[in-house]
Amino acid sequence: MSQRFQITRAAELESLQMFRDFIAECCAHHNIPNEIVFELKLAVDEACTNIIQHGYKGMDPGSIVLAFRIEPDRILVQITDFGHAFEPASAPAPDLNAALEDRELGGLGLFLIYQTMDNIDYQASQDGNTLTFTKYYRP
Amino acid sequence: MFKYLRLRPEPDRRDPLANIPITQLVGDASLPVTLKALNSLPENPKLRLYRTLLPLQVLAAFDINPRTWQNPEKQIQVRLQADEGSEKVKISAWFGQNPENEFFYLELADNPYGGIDLNFLIASDPHSPKFNTDFDEQGRETLFGTVHRNRAEEERAMHAGLAPGQTRAGLRCSQIIFTHVETFLTLLAHHALTLEPMTYASAWIFERRGFAYARGHQLMDIIHREFQPGGALHKALDGSSPFRQPEQWQTVRGRAWAIHDGILETIERKWDNLKMIKQVGRQAGVNTCPNTLF
Amino acid sequence: MNIQDIQKNGVTVVQFSGSIDALTAPAITEHLGGLISSGQIRLVVDLGGVDFTSSAGLRLLLGAVKDARAGGGDLRLAAVQPDVMKVLKISGFTNILKLFENVDDAVASFG
Repeated sequence: MSQRFQITRAAELESLQMFRDFIAECCAHHNIPNEIVFELKLAVDEACTNIIQHGYKGMDPGSIVLAFRIEPDRILVQITDFGHAFEPASAPAPDLNAALEDRELGGLGLFLIYQTMDNIDYQASQDGNTLTFTKYYRP
Repeated sequence: MFKYLRLRPEPDRRDPLANIPITQLVGDASLPVTLKALNSLPENPKLRLYRTLLPLQVLAAFDINPRTWQNPEKQIQVRLQADEGSEKVKISAWFGQNPENEFFYLELADNPYGGIDLNFLIASDPHSPKFNTDFDEQGRETLFGTVHRNRAEEERAMHAGLAPGQTRAGLRCSQIIFTHVETFLTLLAHHALTLEPMTYASAWIFERRGFAYARGHQLMDIIHREFQPGGALHKALDGSSPFRQPEQWQTVRGRAWAIHDGILETIERKWDNLKMIKQVGRQAGVNTCPNTLF
Repeated sequence: MNIQDIQKNGVTVVQFSGSIDALTAPAITEHLGGLISSGQIRLVVDLGGVDFTSSAGLRLLLGAVKDARAGGGDLRLAAVQPDVMKVLKISGFTNILKLFENVDDAVASFG
């Protein structure tokens, strides 16, 4: 059994809450553990924030399409946009052991996605940029 | 007329592809083929491929044979323009004797990014009244009311229930047209179709056909918000022109006419830079005008 | 997002409720910045009503705690909810910020 959900919203900060609420609502019907729901909300929020603040920078913002599929032991997430492509691998991971004064502002968003999600992949093309990740869970 | 009917003897079998070089199509089937490549094919295979762009139901409604493009009187009713060297395909179909009397016009073009743009799509009812919104009082082309305007004719069109840019009522068959276009794109191994919506009303229709926005989703949200009671566009529907009547905020068409009339200046925006994209096989499900009638 | 300040024993307790994300973070950053620049550098942030934070929340806390400490004060957290605690832990912020079970303990820690 698997079920697919999708929501498309404008790439603007006001949409972040809508994406999180949508995830919460869909997961509520499938008894997904709370901590998994939170991690999904976090990873999707970080990815979408990146698209809004960088992907569509200097453009009249277009859409973000959030799709996910809930399966019995995992959730597959796909986030599509049509802005500038970005490359997650090129962003340096933050140094968690650095002294407070040495810590860089930023860089944390992608780090949080990598810490909470599995099988992260990113494909950029003229037909849309797509970030996919998987979250495994025990029901 | 006939004394009797007899079965036609079985036609001679011939290899239909004999003498037709289809080198452009024999490569990797997952790689996209451009329209320019398709246009370099000999006429017959080109015709076979482009024929899929015309919805059978639409042709049937006008008694046009989908294979021969002829009406029952054997008159050609469809024209394909896909010249060698060109990056475009234009296909038009008309009803009656006059090819100017188009009820269907579709224009696709290769874009610089290796994708395909939908430049034009017209599907109008040839039996409905025609409004000369495409020419102004001096007989100049208005280019859909973007360069010049024929205000008197536009007003008549608006009251007849048309949207800006239309000269006749629509055929209400965009769903089936897009199904055909998408099938055609799949045949060429393309992943998406892009377009620039000419009006607010056409953007609304493309949303329903599964398009997302590459540019302008936020603008659509802003327009919807500002047309609500208390919003700047709602206030600007002050009756100052026939296209800015107070009740127009309630319908997509009403808003589209007000936008055509330049109402977005109120919020220091313009109707431009919008770009929509349909990913093949995917419905984006956008609805920027919730709870609004067309 | 609601923000409210309460004074307790010379410590400013800032209460947030709602979600902290890239949309709501700038107002909070501005609020904390205003307090710090007016000399209120003994700060407790009560996160009892915050159910979500993204890295935008971490970033603003990091900025504010740096500024408060630079002036000889501190910013301490109280009543962190489990989900938010997870984000603080993953990102290593629990090693930087002092956390307390409730507002009273956090206020008392300033001595």
